[in-house]
Amino acid sequence: MSNAIQTPANAQPAKKESSPIIAVRKSCNPDGIGLSHYVLMDRKAAK
Amino acid sequence: MSVAEQSRAGVAGPLIPVDIGHDRYTALTDPNTAFWALVDKKRVGESEAHGSLLASFHENAAAFAREMHALRFELTPSGVYLNPTERCNLNCTYCYLPGQQRSEGRHMPVDTLLVSLEKLRTYFRSVMPEGRKPRAIFHGAEPLMNKAAVFEAIRAFGDHFAFGIQTNGTLLDEEAMSFLTSRNVSIGLSLDGPMPSITDATRLTWGGKSVHDKVLTAMDKLRGYGSWSVITTCTTENLPHLTRMVELFHAREVPTCMLNTLRCTLPGARGVKPADADMAQSFFGALDRSHALFKETGRKLVVANFANILIAILAPTARRLMCDISPCGGGRAFFALAADGSLYPCSEFIGVPHFNGGNLFDAGGVEAALASEAFRTVTERDVDTFQPCSDCAIRHFCGSPCPAEAHEMNGGMQQIGAFCEFYKEQVNYALRLIADGKADDYLWDGWDAGTETTFQVQ
Repeated sequence: MSNAIQTPANAQPAKKESSPIIAVRKSCNPDGIGLSHYVLMDRKAAK
Repeated sequence: MSVAEQSRAGVAGPLIPVDIGHDRYTALTDPNTAFWALVDKKRVGESEAHGSLLASFHENAAAFAREMHALRFELTPSGVYLNPTERCNLNCTYCYLPGQQRSEGRHMPVDTLLVSLEKLRTYFRSVMPEGRKPRAIFHGAEPLMNKAAVFEAIRAFGDHFAFGIQTNGTLLDEEAMSFLTSRNVSIGLSLDGPMPSITDATRLTWGGKSVHDKVLTAMDKLRGYGSWSVITTCTTENLPHLTRMVELFHAREVPTCMLNTLRCTLPGARGVKPADADMAQSFFGALDRSHALFKETGRKLVVANFANILIAILAPTARRLMCDISPCGGGRAFFALAADGSLYPCSEFIGVPHFNGGNLFDAGGVEAALASEAFRTVTERDVDTFQPCSDCAIRHFCGSPCPAEAHEMNGGMQQIGAFCEFYKEQVNYALRLIADGKADDYLWDGWDAGTETTFQVQ
């Protein structure tokens, strides 16, 4: 028996026909919070 | 007209097909604007013929181009890497800092560090919106070798900077842990293996002692803390063990990890450089395992360097790391302060004197360094202007990192970085996840808060 916890994130969604075209773009203010590959910091920390 | 010629002419489209290795979808991209679409292979010709996708793209192309230009050329610095010492208690195979510095180098005196932060605060106030805190990351070498200065700086400037520290974890005793966590300092650890023998292959003390267990102890103490991560540097020594690495991190409730390709800036690193194909195979195996663990437990372990590639595709301006963009963030989104007061575009360059842009205590300070030839050599490295990048369909999802490697390993700024083929495979993998509707599983919950959808066909 699986111990998996069913959450909204991992619950199986209803099967639906996928689109012949998928294209998504989101945008926000490029506020220059990015750092290099060394340290990850929460985006909220800079606000 | 070639892709490079289109770039120079600022022309949008036609869309360029990219085989992403998916059963159903192929990608069409416009490299100039970082636009992409996934199209059913059976209908690629039909879509192009009908022109609906192309027409929709062309309606938005100018806005996408403006967005990419702002991201690539109009940012001002909002972060600084602080190197409070040249010394490190470890002698890692692949370190980007020269060994003599790390064994015999200097500490920055506490007073110098405090004056430095005052100067940096003044600078950031001049370029950042009011109410925003610049980020200051203590970095190394091992910053806790100069713990007294670091802690005094955090005490004095905690209201003015968002502080972080990247540490090897060996000096994080109870007092240090309490000090840092009580002040919400972001903590990054480093661990290269799921067992001592693997970690020890690249990360030992100068005396040859293992530090594996000390890092695990630090990880246990940080469990439940809100702002910490662990970096694994991927080398030939640990590549076969990346899946176990992910299992270890997930079991210890690490919220975020990074599985970074090692940087090949200095020759020592190149001896443990994995081949691109090997890197891709192991890296994707680790990502697959992280996803399986999420499905089993409902708890994510975000692999941040991959998440950043996904975000670069889905929302270019929302990316959190600035290596995978051209020009990279070095010298324009952030810069580095060395222990002697010298300013470099990024810590990666501290071992290469040619990239010293001046001293914080010189008359021109940060502004002079940003305008220096040393910095401009980095900030003017543009993948639109040299081959093979200028003809690459995914160049703005990749950025051809890292300029330090390109310069030191491959012979100049007009060269690719160290892992070109791996990056191509990584982008293909990310696009396959998007095609399968799984991308959100690999990203932080709420990653797109504050964004707006500017294009959608689904």
